[in-house]
Amino acid sequence: MKKFFYNIKKYFKYAIYSAKAELKSEVADSYLNWLWWIIEPLCFMIIYTFVFGVVFENHEKYFASFVFVGLSAWEFFNRMVTGSVNLIIHNRDLVTKVYLPKYILLLSKSFTYLFKLGISLIICIILMIFQHVPFTWMMILAIPIFVVLYILSFGIGMILMHFGVTLNDLANLTNIGLRMVFYLSGIFYNIQTRLKKHPKLVTILLKVNPIAFCMNELRKVLLYQTLPNFLLLGLWLVIGILLCMVGIHVIHKNENSYAKVI
Amino acid sequence: MKKNNKEKDIAITVKNLHITYRGLKKTSIRAIWTKMGSRIEKFHALKGISFEVEKGKILGIIGKNGSGKSTMLRAIAGIFSPDKGTIDLHGNTISLLSIGVGFNKKLTGKENIYLSGMLLGFSEEEIKAKEKEIIDFADIGEFMDKPVKTYSSGMYSKLAFAITAILETDIMLIDEVLSVGDAQFKEKSYNKMKELISDENRTVLIVSHSLDTVRELCDEVLWINDGEFMELGPVDKVIPKYQEFMETLNTTKNS
Repeated sequence: MKKFFYNIKKYFKYAIYSAKAELKSEVADSYLNWLWWIIEPLCFMIIYTFVFGVVFENHEKYFASFVFVGLSAWEFFNRMVTGSVNLIIHNRDLVTKVYLPKYILLLSKSFTYLFKLGISLIICIILMIFQHVPFTWMMILAIPIFVVLYILSFGIGMILMHFGVTLNDLANLTNIGLRMVFYLSGIFYNIQTRLKKHPKLVTILLKVNPIAFCMNELRKVLLYQTLPNFLLLGLWLVIGILLCMVGIHVIHKNENSYAKVI
Repeated sequence: MKKNNKEKDIAITVKNLHITYRGLKKTSIRAIWTKMGSRIEKFHALKGISFEVEKGKILGIIGKNGSGKSTMLRAIAGIFSPDKGTIDLHGNTISLLSIGVGFNKKLTGKENIYLSGMLLGFSEEEIKAKEKEIIDFADIGEFMDKPVKTYSSGMYSKLAFAITAILETDIMLIDEVLSVGDAQFKEKSYNKMKELISDENRTVLIVSHSLDTVRELCDEVLWINDGEFMELGPVDKVIPKYQEFMETLNTTKNS
């Protein structure tokens, strides 16, 4: 653990610099450049709002914001998971030529995803102003929820990153898993109201699936002026930290063998 | 710093180094299913090598293909962990000289200097201090502010070489002496390399197949064969033996 914090401190600047570099290179040669970071989430929001709000007649209050909050959180998690699976292999050059604690790669990646999440959230706030969502102090509570989401994603990411080195087809498996979680997390429907007839299913979906849980809590504090479930939030935080510890341990133990495999 | 005359200043101590390629092997989920319990192949790349290098010495490592030379360099650089045995660098900073580590081709040359430098463990300030020197040495003019993907391969290696050559560490590991770029830059880079190598405080390990290079640059030679230690000694003692060994190897193969 000590080694982890030492490494984080040592390579923090590199992680930031490399994240910046990646963001820059992402927009370096597209016509609309950084505008894509705004256009993309906006378009997805419009698509989902139309399909699920108009076609499927969803009458959730502040539906567009509702979708957008969920979508932002989901995109972050989704990127972390898909990004981490092949992270080592995509950085073959680095891994075989210099020593770098491997979670620094994930850390750097996570910064780029956090940046995109930030943009999403700014759009989200604008959207909320449009829809006259009342702004209260409770919104600050979104921050700890995001922290929990980040820690959870980071832990899961590290573990997947390790197995992604040796298991060629892990990416296929995670894709299926992610798609399942995507539909089960209630990004464009409210788990509680939609599944009224199956109260047991609601509890399972909301409590066992951390993403659905985080989304639900985020919506509570951002849109509906309700306090989050602190107990469950704390529990997921503990689980997230445990996952991180497992991930750090696995990576410390194996990272020097990665170069031999890829 | 006071130096004890009796004790030599040791920069690298390698003790009983074993490296095997195994354990983590690429598989797919289906393969796990079908091959459960089958033995994993092992490849013993290094079989118990021990040696020490004094500070400031230039050690050449020779041996035929596949004898574990590059594996050893990478282990010393910390990219691999030894399966058995230890490597002690006595607190020296180390780098494996390689071209274009961590380059992002869509970014400009200048940005890549920072990216690559920070990856090699230098701080932003240290790089800033050396930036001009690197730019001068690379000598690619206005291309410095253009994305690396627009570079010719020669320019690419010039910049990459400049970064690794100017940002120096106490111990340098060189896998095949690099000669890059056009004739003029080749000479410049070779001279720079010589200058770097012959710095009194710098310990250098060179892996090379060119015995001429080894003769010209190195103080001592380590000869390994099939992962086993053969000999360590002055250049003019070890190289003839190695040549003799290689010749007998060839004649037995041909007969």
